[in-house]
Amino acid sequence: MFNSEFKNLNELLEMGGHGIYVWSVYLIGISIIAISFLVAKKRIKAVQRKIKFKNASS
Amino acid sequence: MLLLGWIWGLLFAPQDAVQGNSYRIIFLHVPSVIFAELIYFFMAVCALMHLVWRVKLAAYLIKSAAPIGAMITFIGLFSGSIWGIPTWGTWWQWDARITSTLILFIMYLGVLTLHGSFSNLEKADRLMSILVIIGVVNIPIIKKSVDWWSTLHQPASISVSGSSSIDPSMLYPLLISIIGLGFTLISLGILSSRSYILSREKNKKWVLMHV
Repeated sequence: MFNSEFKNLNELLEMGGHGIYVWSVYLIGISIIAISFLVAKKRIKAVQRKIKFKNASS
Repeated sequence: MLLLGWIWGLLFAPQDAVQGNSYRIIFLHVPSVIFAELIYFFMAVCALMHLVWRVKLAAYLIKSAAPIGAMITFIGLFSGSIWGIPTWGTWWQWDARITSTLILFIMYLGVLTLHGSFSNLEKADRLMSILVIIGVVNIPIIKKSVDWWSTLHQPASISVSGSSSIDPSMLYPLLISIIGLGFTLISLGILSSRSYILSREKNKKWVLMHV
C-alpha cells in the first residue's frame, strides 16, 4: 500500500497523460484555499487596526 | 492532515482500473462537495436560530460561512468539470447532480448579495436567514439526485451507514482528505467569523476593551 505508484518524477507529473488534469485541479484548489486564509487574516488585522485607532482617538 | 490525505492519494493509492490516474481528483473533489453541502446545512441551522430565538451570533456565522461555502462549492464544481474531460469527454453536462450543485453555488452568492444590498444590517440578517432556509430544500435534492434521476454521476461510493463500494486503499486517503479539509475549513471559518464579529460589534464596549 505504501509503495509509490510512480517510478520517477516524470511519471508522477505525467500520470499516464492525466497529469495536466490532476495537477491543475490541485494547484488551483490549493491556491484558492491559501488566498482565502490570507484574505481572512488581512481582514482581522484591518478591523483590529480600525478599532485600535478608534480607541486611541476617543 | 489534509496534506497527508492528498499525498497518500496522489502518490501511493493504486491507479483506477477504468479511469486511470484521473480519478485522483476524487481526493479534492469529494471532500469539497461534501463540505459545500454541510456548510449550507450549518447556515440553515444558524438561520433557524436567528429567526426563532433572535440569536445575533447565528446571523454573524451565516455571513462568515457563506463566502467559504461559495469558495468550496466553486472548487467542487471546477474539479468536477476538469475530471469530466478525460472521464466523460465533456467538462459540463446539465445533469441533475451538477445542475443542483450549480444552484447551491448561486444560492451562496445570492445570500451574500442579498446581505450586501441592505444598509440596515439587522434587516439584512433577517432576510438573509429567510433566504438560507428557502434554499436548504436544494440539499436533499443534491444528495438524492443520482438516485432520483439518470445522471452521468455514479451513485455514492462511500456511505456513513452502509458499506462503501470503494477499495480501502483508495477509501482511507479519501476519508483522511475529508477530515483534513473539514479541519482546514473550520480554521478558516474561525478566522472569518472573528473578523466579521469584530467589525459588526466594533462600537461595543467589550470589543474596545478586548482589542
